[in-house]
Amino acid sequence: MKEAIHTKQLGYSYGDLRVLEALSFSVYRGDFFIIIGPNGSGKTTLLKCISGILRPRTGGLEILGAPVHAYSRKSLARSIALVPQTAPVDFPFRVTEVVLMGRSPHLGILGVEHEEDLSIAHRAMEFTGVASLARRKLDQLSGGERQRVMIARAICQDPEIILLDEPTASLDLAHQVRVMDLMERLRHEKKVTVLMVSHDINLAALYGNRLMLLKEGRILSLGAPSEVLTFQTLEEAYGCPLLVDKSPLGDFQRVTLVPQKFIDPGIKETSRRP
Amino acid sequence: MKQIRYILFLISACSLFFYSGPSAAGTATDETGRPVTIPDDPRRVVSFAPSITEIIFALGREDRLKGVSRFSDFPPEATRLPSVGSYIRLDLEKIVALRPDLCFATKDGNPKDVVTRLSALDIPVYVVDPKNLEGVMTTIHRIGGVLNAGPKADAIIQQMHTRINRVKSMVAKASSRPGVFFQIEISPIVSVGESTLINEMIEIAGGINLAKGPTPYPRFSREQVLTLAPDVLIITSMARGGRFEAVKREWSRWSSIPAVRNHRILMVDSNLFDRPSPRLVDALEILARLIHPGLFEGEK
Amino acid sequence: MSQESEPNGAISLRMDLKRPLLMKRLSMVSLLLLFFLIAALFLGISIGSTGSGIGQGLATLFDGKDTDAMRHTIIWQIRFPRVLLAILVGGTLSLGGLVFQALLRNPLAEPYILGISSGSGIGAIIGILAGFSRFPGVSATAFAGSMGTLLLLFVMSSGQAMLKKDTLLLSGVMVNAFCAALIMFLMSVTQDSRLHNIIFWLMGDLSTADLHQVAILAGVLIPGFVLLFCLSNAMNLLLMGRELAQTMGLNIKAATVTLLVATSFMVSLTVANCGPIGFVGLVMPHVLRLAFGPDHRILVPASILGGGTYMVLCDLLARTLPDQGEMPAGVITAMIGVPLFIILLKKSGR
Repeated sequence: MKEAIHTKQLGYSYGDLRVLEALSFSVYRGDFFIIIGPNGSGKTTLLKCISGILRPRTGGLEILGAPVHAYSRKSLARSIALVPQTAPVDFPFRVTEVVLMGRSPHLGILGVEHEEDLSIAHRAMEFTGVASLARRKLDQLSGGERQRVMIARAICQDPEIILLDEPTASLDLAHQVRVMDLMERLRHEKKVTVLMVSHDINLAALYGNRLMLLKEGRILSLGAPSEVLTFQTLEEAYGCPLLVDKSPLGDFQRVTLVPQKFIDPGIKETSRRP
Repeated sequence: MKQIRYILFLISACSLFFYSGPSAAGTATDETGRPVTIPDDPRRVVSFAPSITEIIFALGREDRLKGVSRFSDFPPEATRLPSVGSYIRLDLEKIVALRPDLCFATKDGNPKDVVTRLSALDIPVYVVDPKNLEGVMTTIHRIGGVLNAGPKADAIIQQMHTRINRVKSMVAKASSRPGVFFQIEISPIVSVGESTLINEMIEIAGGINLAKGPTPYPRFSREQVLTLAPDVLIITSMARGGRFEAVKREWSRWSSIPAVRNHRILMVDSNLFDRPSPRLVDALEILARLIHPGLFEGEK
Repeated sequence: MSQESEPNGAISLRMDLKRPLLMKRLSMVSLLLLFFLIAALFLGISIGSTGSGIGQGLATLFDGKDTDAMRHTIIWQIRFPRVLLAILVGGTLSLGGLVFQALLRNPLAEPYILGISSGSGIGAIIGILAGFSRFPGVSATAFAGSMGTLLLLFVMSSGQAMLKKDTLLLSGVMVNAFCAALIMFLMSVTQDSRLHNIIFWLMGDLSTADLHQVAILAGVLIPGFVLLFCLSNAMNLLLMGRELAQTMGLNIKAATVTLLVATSFMVSLTVANCGPIGFVGLVMPHVLRLAFGPDHRILVPASILGGGTYMVLCDLLARTLPDQGEMPAGVITAMIGVPLFIILLKKSGR
């Protein structure tokens, strides 16, 4: 089937507060699908619904052609893996142990690992470049290193779909690019579908093949970056003036924030900086 | 002639059957109604309470006593005997190590579980429960019976009766019955109620127990004691011995209390008053002297 | 970010791949701790208030019932059940601490944190005041007390909120405080002789052990140990974050509830029989984590064996240190546990 994820009128509320309103969209296999939007637009809630953490209040959700409730927890875990924004470090495990935990959906109740699992973990750690950190503890790593460990763990689940929750939020520039490049490699080498929630519009523009802009639980725009990232839609979504032009890197949108000092009251067009 | 002798023989045989030793070779019932298998002639006895230790010594059977509870301090010889723990916390191992053939326990104080466990290990435990003066004498009689010291037990009981009756007759001559407040705890102030030995002794000694009531150890605030206005204030030394002077000073501030005005705040040895043993009569005599000093002036 | 030089990376990973697989590590750790446990067991039955005879201990083991019935009774009827009880209690409390630390993701969690000790204290006091003997009477009321407290706790945290660790923790603290006040009140209005019994109960006491009671406890606790071992991987996953654990295939609701209920039940049973003994559940998990790592599949058996050993040794000290009588076991565990904990804190560099 073409569709990795398909939703139909998907809705969710926290008590009386309606967060997602009848969302209908598809993520196709092999997509680098990036969800953007202002805070409170429901991005994270949507991700939680797709990953199975939250059960949608209304509407349907299909993963790889089958309704989500048809999956057992473990079989869902073998199809979708989530990379969270941060990993808790109160009782720090070693990197190898964390990555090996990614194998649990494939293992029995005690999660006893075999040689084969160790080599899968090995390959995942090499893929994300954390192999040399194998014996270190999670709390001894930098944010970027920790993120890559969590990605290695997710890879061990051997999923068809990887979900990422604002993966670049607390990373420095070098790590941001590194993580995004990793996702790109995953798509091409392992044919994994990537679904990401991001607050960084420019990164979304450079990597995503399809973007979805959410506002207040509704889809404002969905499609290729060139369709979604227009001045009108962005201003409607974010409520502030933004400059959209072409990136010097190629046929990609580039979005620039416009500080107040560049805006003359009364003049609608933004002026270029001399 | 022959027939009469034959009948006499039969009668004496029958009486032997009925009076074959005071302790049944076999099962007896202790003072809590439990059946206990008692040896004919207990040779290795352990006492779980200081009062029982005193009784056994008084009966002259201390040679059979192989172990006592920790605070068995009377008579002084008792302190040389091996200790089996305090009577609230008995050491099972130490008891078993003494290889007793009979143990004596009290219902009030010794933990039930130890008694049960010892019985499970085939060590007989005879539990006593003396509730009043008569009860103490019954206990002495029964322990005497079990230890084959019946005559000695009877002698002790006889003497106790004599002394008690003497106090009663002396006190009958008193013109009034003073109000007595008997304090057994300093903080909080605790006195004795209806069901206690001390209450009984106060009444026999010619006093009125001002704390008398259904609660065995009632608490009082200082105000309440003031209201009671005792003529005699007796403090037991268990309430931290050396602090008597401090306690006396504390009471002396309340001169509205008759006992304070008339300097009748007195201390007594708690070991005499709390133990259900033969020395209770000593306590009774002391109490009578404290309550009615005038009646006993000529003596001791 | 520079690439770490390949040889180093390859070596360390190869070393790690060579690290023994789970089963091997588990057996190594278990055997080691089992050795210590058996040694402690032996010490425990050889030493007591009527003298220590390591030789005598050996003798009774091999000579059987004929030699010296009294010695035999002391060792097998008095000391042996007590040591067995200590193993069960120590194991349960350590495991309780481990599970609660994982569930609440809090290194200060310990088995009494949800009010189990104070709840059972109230139950025990009621039992003592009613004149019950320690076993089964007071144990039963104590158990009922702790179960009642837990029920109260669940009602207060109500349903979904119960799964949020902070709600549970806070409610537990509140319930503990309330029960503690209630206990003080009950103690203040109690007459003398019973007050002694209450105080002794609250100090923790292993001296009432007998084979019958120990057999019953073992019959309930050992299956509990097995159950918790089966959930040890779940605990690992839970520590990665509740939601993340779910995306890795764990039924977090079922796991959390099972862990909570089973552990609370086991700890309550223990406290009901021996009174609250502290510092075992708090300190042992940290010691073992320092020694063997944070993998719960190793830590669960380690807690049982290590905690059991610790308790046997503490109880041994409790009954041999004072000249007369014995100290409450809880005093020893505190006197050892507190300095140990401080050393651990320093070592972990916090």
